[in-house]
Amino acid sequence: MQTDSASQIILDPQSAAFAVDPHAVYSAMRRLSEPYFWASADTWMLTKVADVEAVALNKTMLRNNEEFIDDVDRKAQQRAINFQDMPYHERFVQVNLLESEGATHARLRKVVFREFTPAMIARQRPAIQAFVDGLLEGLSDRDEIDFVGDFAAHVPGHIIGRVLGVPDEDAPKLRHWSEEVVRYFDVGRGDADKARAELATKEFYEYLLILVAEREAAPQEDLLSRLVAYRDAGQLSQDELISTAMLILMAGHGSTIDVLGSGLHALLRFPDQHQKLRQDPKLMKTAVQEMFRYESPLPYFHRFATEETEVGGKVFPAGTRFGLLYGAANRDPARFENPDLFDVSRSPNRHLAFGGGGHFCLGNHLARLDMDVIFSTLNARFSEIGLVDAEPEYKRGLSVRGPKALHIGWKRA
Amino acid sequence: MIKLTFVQADGTEIGTEAAPGLSLMQAAVNAGVEAIAAECGGACACGTCHCVLPQKWFDRTPAPQDDEVDMLEFVIEPQSTSRLSCQVVVTEEMHGMVINVPDSQV
Repeated sequence: MQTDSASQIILDPQSAAFAVDPHAVYSAMRRLSEPYFWASADTWMLTKVADVEAVALNKTMLRNNEEFIDDVDRKAQQRAINFQDMPYHERFVQVNLLESEGATHARLRKVVFREFTPAMIARQRPAIQAFVDGLLEGLSDRDEIDFVGDFAAHVPGHIIGRVLGVPDEDAPKLRHWSEEVVRYFDVGRGDADKARAELATKEFYEYLLILVAEREAAPQEDLLSRLVAYRDAGQLSQDELISTAMLILMAGHGSTIDVLGSGLHALLRFPDQHQKLRQDPKLMKTAVQEMFRYESPLPYFHRFATEETEVGGKVFPAGTRFGLLYGAANRDPARFENPDLFDVSRSPNRHLAFGGGGHFCLGNHLARLDMDVIFSTLNARFSEIGLVDAEPEYKRGLSVRGPKALHIGWKRA
Repeated sequence: MIKLTFVQADGTEIGTEAAPGLSLMQAAVNAGVEAIAAECGGACACGTCHCVLPQKWFDRTPAPQDDEVDMLEFVIEPQSTSRLSCQVVVTEEMHGMVINVPDSQV
């Protein structure tokens, strides 16, 4: 039984109101005595930081439920979400490091983890700085820009492409394929989207095959060459090599663009905090963490219970689907004082924007370095930055969070 | 309750008491040891709860599993007595244990 207050909650992630302020609904859900049941998705929504963290860390909670359903049910489930009859997508996108569990997940994660340690990522700083400087030079004659479309959208894909070993001139193609594939995860996808996602996966695959063949002939100092070496050492299969390369290119792409947009938006909405950061650039590390907490770019993931489990004071049977609202957990006053205030010096800041448990975001150091370089450079180059549009429109939906565009005016220092 | 002392990189000590069964990481977080970032929350998946034990205490602690050994390769300046604090369960034998915490985890 839901309590009276639960029946008053309207969770409509596709609505304009939700895009304006999802935190009002999150907060109402968090005040309930037990998790909120979202009937239309057959999902128990978790908003308290303790509940979200407990489920993320619980090894019996899995991202897919295929372990305890039979083939017939699995096929039916695949059809229900319209993930069937797309051979390339099924082969390289529906099966990968992110979607795997257990021994396969541990093996693949180990391969990728060593490539994304702080020390490995720190090597990219000069390349990121050079790319950001070049991009800003190209925009320097403008008084106003769309920070998302004109700037942020170009950075993460370019940098991760560089890490992997994709030629600079192919970065736009990768961005196109990534977006086509990722868009297919949106709610409300239709058959046209399906065809586009499948075609993008196929083209992406064929492109990567060529790059892999080049690395086989002549290894380079890049991640793709090392993935080829791991494959040859028997640590991953050819299909896993391709799906891992695709995942690396897609995973932190859109979400980093989103948090760059929402992060700058937060700085501009809280000018005292922006000023504080300008006066003490050493705060950049905590400021970036706060950007991830304040508007978590991937606010929603799910898990299935594989056995009877107690969550938030209620017992749930095996097979229960839980929604992990990281975006809500990160505003939980039980952990964060004044959670709706953006505080560039917040510490400790034990947010869950990168998830928790075994699927903890592998690319977090790269995303944070991108942001560190970008905001440091903006503050150094521009003495004034202001919002042109006071109420930028945010993307709709539960799974993403970020402004569609962020029109700003700026003055060179 | 088991008495633990976390020694931070600047030499300051944070003493705490932890119930057996808790992880060293959780004990550190509860005591406000900020340098134990523990970003993944304790799943041996991020390498940001690194600590170094004095040899005497290292010897009294059950040996790390393979996944922890793998992860310890990637922490900043690993030592021969390094551990990931999320993988060390507090036991009665650890009463009085001293744990050295590095300056930064990332």
